[in-house]
Amino acid sequence: MIESYLPVLVFIVLAMGIGVVPLLAGFVLAPRRPDQDKLSPYECGFEAFEDSRMQFDVRYYLVAILFIIFDLEIAFLFPWAIVLDEIGLFGFGAMAVFIGILLIGFLYEWKKGALEWE
Amino acid sequence: MIEKVIFYVFAGILLAAALLVITARNPVHSALSLVLVFFTSAALWLMAEAEFLGIALILVYVGAVMVLFLFVVMMLDINIAVMREGFSRYLPLGALVAVIMVLQMLLVIGAAGVDLSGFAEATNPALSETNNIRMLGNVLYTVYVYPFELAAMVLLLAIIAAIMLTLRRRGGTRHQDINKQVRTTKAERLRMVRMASEQKNEQ
Repeated sequence: MIESYLPVLVFIVLAMGIGVVPLLAGFVLAPRRPDQDKLSPYECGFEAFEDSRMQFDVRYYLVAILFIIFDLEIAFLFPWAIVLDEIGLFGFGAMAVFIGILLIGFLYEWKKGALEWE
Repeated sequence: MIEKVIFYVFAGILLAAALLVITARNPVHSALSLVLVFFTSAALWLMAEAEFLGIALILVYVGAVMVLFLFVVMMLDINIAVMREGFSRYLPLGALVAVIMVLQMLLVIGAAGVDLSGFAEATNPALSETNNIRMLGNVLYTVYVYPFELAAMVLLLAIIAAIMLTLRRRGGTRHQDINKQVRTTKAERLRMVRMASEQKNEQ
């Protein structure tokens, strides 16, 4: 069973190699003659005005957290879909209640305008 | 044998990345190390034949929770130099919290009287024909249906709390009303104007 993941491991190792080798090659092979002007921070010819890391708007956070919630809902759907034949109508009802509760939340955020991007 | 080697490689990467999470100077680097921690733990779970949990870890934690962490880091606009100052000052408090957490975990394990040999049997493919996701699904929606519905309530609470806390309407923003756009008529948009040059052509 665990042997069937060997291709996955091979792919992980290959992908890491493909990612690392060009970086290393550039590091080793490229000529490097640093001087004061090359190393100084550059912003269209001016001195840098501010930190390149700027503050994010809180609205991105709202979108991300709403995404997580429905991501989790979908994660719950996968095992349910696999065993639906075995758990029968009771399992179907359980999922219907689950999705019904989250539907309230979905309608709430829709009506509240949380999905609108101003 | 080779399985053990792979396990120790992944475990080593996991511990190194976890150490990097708490020692990295830049909070963005910490968050990215945490991505590596989640990814390697998913690999370890795959090795324990908990495939669904491993993939759920990647989908939910790496795909969604870490993005949220990065947003929070970017939102707070942390001054890195200031943040590092209090390390030794908070060390005793942090150590105390860690010790209490370890004691609590030991108490829970002791109270439940967990017999780990049962888990070994359940995950051994020779003893159980059925796979991890099937076993999980069979109990989650029947035996544990009440905690399952409670999870829905917790998620609903999270939706409402997030909207209440962060949704701000600001005035003066321009909206696109698609309904109005679709229902518009020719009369609203188009005005025929009779020009002087046009009249000359007609004559």
